[in-house]
Amino acid sequence: MLEINNLVKRYGKGAPVLKDLNLSVQGEQLMSIIGSSGAGKSTLLRCINRLVEPTSGTITLNGTEMTTLGPKDLRRARRRVGMVFQSFNLVDRLTVMENVQSGRLGYISTWAAVTRRYPAADIERAFELMERVGIAQYANKRADELSGGERQRVGVVRALMQRPEILLADEPTASLDPKTSEQIMSLLRDLANELNLPVIINIHNVTEAKEFSDRIVGMRYGRIIFDDKPAALDAAQMDEIYAGTPSQDRQDMGAAA
Amino acid sequence: MTTPTTWRKPPFIASPVLRWAFYIALAAYLIGTIATLPIDWERASEGLTRAGRIFSGAFPPSFARSDLMITGFMESLKIAILATVLGLVLSVPLAFMAARNIAPKPVYFVGRGVFILARSFHPVIVAIIFVKAVGFGPLAGALTLTIYSIGFVAKLLAERIEEIDFGQVEALRSVGAPYLVTMVYAIVPQIMPRLVGLGIYQLDSNLRASAVVGIVGAGGIGSTLANAFGRYDYDFALAITMVIVGAILISEAVSGKIRKNMT
Repeated sequence: MLEINNLVKRYGKGAPVLKDLNLSVQGEQLMSIIGSSGAGKSTLLRCINRLVEPTSGTITLNGTEMTTLGPKDLRRARRRVGMVFQSFNLVDRLTVMENVQSGRLGYISTWAAVTRRYPAADIERAFELMERVGIAQYANKRADELSGGERQRVGVVRALMQRPEILLADEPTASLDPKTSEQIMSLLRDLANELNLPVIINIHNVTEAKEFSDRIVGMRYGRIIFDDKPAALDAAQMDEIYAGTPSQDRQDMGAAA
Repeated sequence: MTTPTTWRKPPFIASPVLRWAFYIALAAYLIGTIATLPIDWERASEGLTRAGRIFSGAFPPSFARSDLMITGFMESLKIAILATVLGLVLSVPLAFMAARNIAPKPVYFVGRGVFILARSFHPVIVAIIFVKAVGFGPLAGALTLTIYSIGFVAKLLAERIEEIDFGQVEALRSVGAPYLVTMVYAIVPQIMPRLVGLGIYQLDSNLRASAVVGIVGAGGIGSTLANAFGRYDYDFALAITMVIVGAILISEAVSGKIRKNMT
């Protein structure tokens, strides 16, 4: 279970990107976060595994308080959080297998990592997962030889290799064509069910969000203004989520205060 | 209002007064420099006849002592290879230290400082220092060219590291990989082609430079050349020069070919 309380993130001296945000994710469900660009979706996701340092607030993952961990404990905690990226972030010049095994680099020794001596169990699991998502035949290909959809599958398998307790996906389909995008979304949904894995997805495509999610969270300029089942998201709430600009938002808040 | 039909590129300096003042000042300085430099025209014209004597003495080139030449050339080659390997090995950690996007500020300044120092002296000056320090011979040459290689390779490699796709580093961080492993997996593959290219270029460049530093006593074919001049063996000196030019042409062609095939 992921529990976020009073999370604030401020870059430099500007207005905060996340404003006193509270969110709780229980059990295995696929949750989508929607909102316009600059709403803070990406920042929120990156605060969870601290690729972005939160300014204040608490983030608790299954009993571990993430925000106060030192460097070594943070590395251990990050092993439990899988992440899938918009631009895949594969190491282009390495083979698919090396990319997939990257997910285990938090567990094996530096020497084993550098010499590519991966444990037998990891290799077996890698082939199983690659078979599951349909990329096993590419194990020895270089990552940059694959198509977009195949590359994102590698990204997903890399994250699953971690045996994560939660999977974060930061606009995983935004670089893909509509058909491939649907395939990746249904893959994420199916995997979430098979592995009992909670998944949080930042997504721009509201239709896909409604189709594939168990729960939708709408963000607007650092706040959560919608949190419900997909069916409850109607046109009026959509307008609310995607309306306005940051400066207008600040004025509204000023008027309310 | 009519639409204009002429257009001129805005001048480099907008104000005409300033522009002409700049041109006149530049011309005046050039004339002043030539007028005041102590150039002894008489000595220069005398030098022409001397040059004539050297060139007439150099023809035809003499390959009589080619064994001496081969020894000198092999030594240059060894110096160049040793300096390149050593230079590359030292450049890699230095480049990581001097890349703004991955090194902490203090480490970054140390890294930059080292190769600014390595670059600030011409190899000949460094060679003179090393010849004083470790004596005449190939060791001084190898050390000099190692420093020279570091200055060049580490700087360009650090710049390459600053241009990497940082998303790959982020991905490795997100799985909890330790620092060194993140470097090896996310950065090394991205900079490898550049490292190999720089290494080949530097070998070529070191071979050239080893002939120059040899002249101040740092071993190799340069020393052979300097000795030939010292003994007024101009025909042998010409032969050596021809061999150096030939070797550089060959290495240029080979390294160009390898670098082209690599990418």
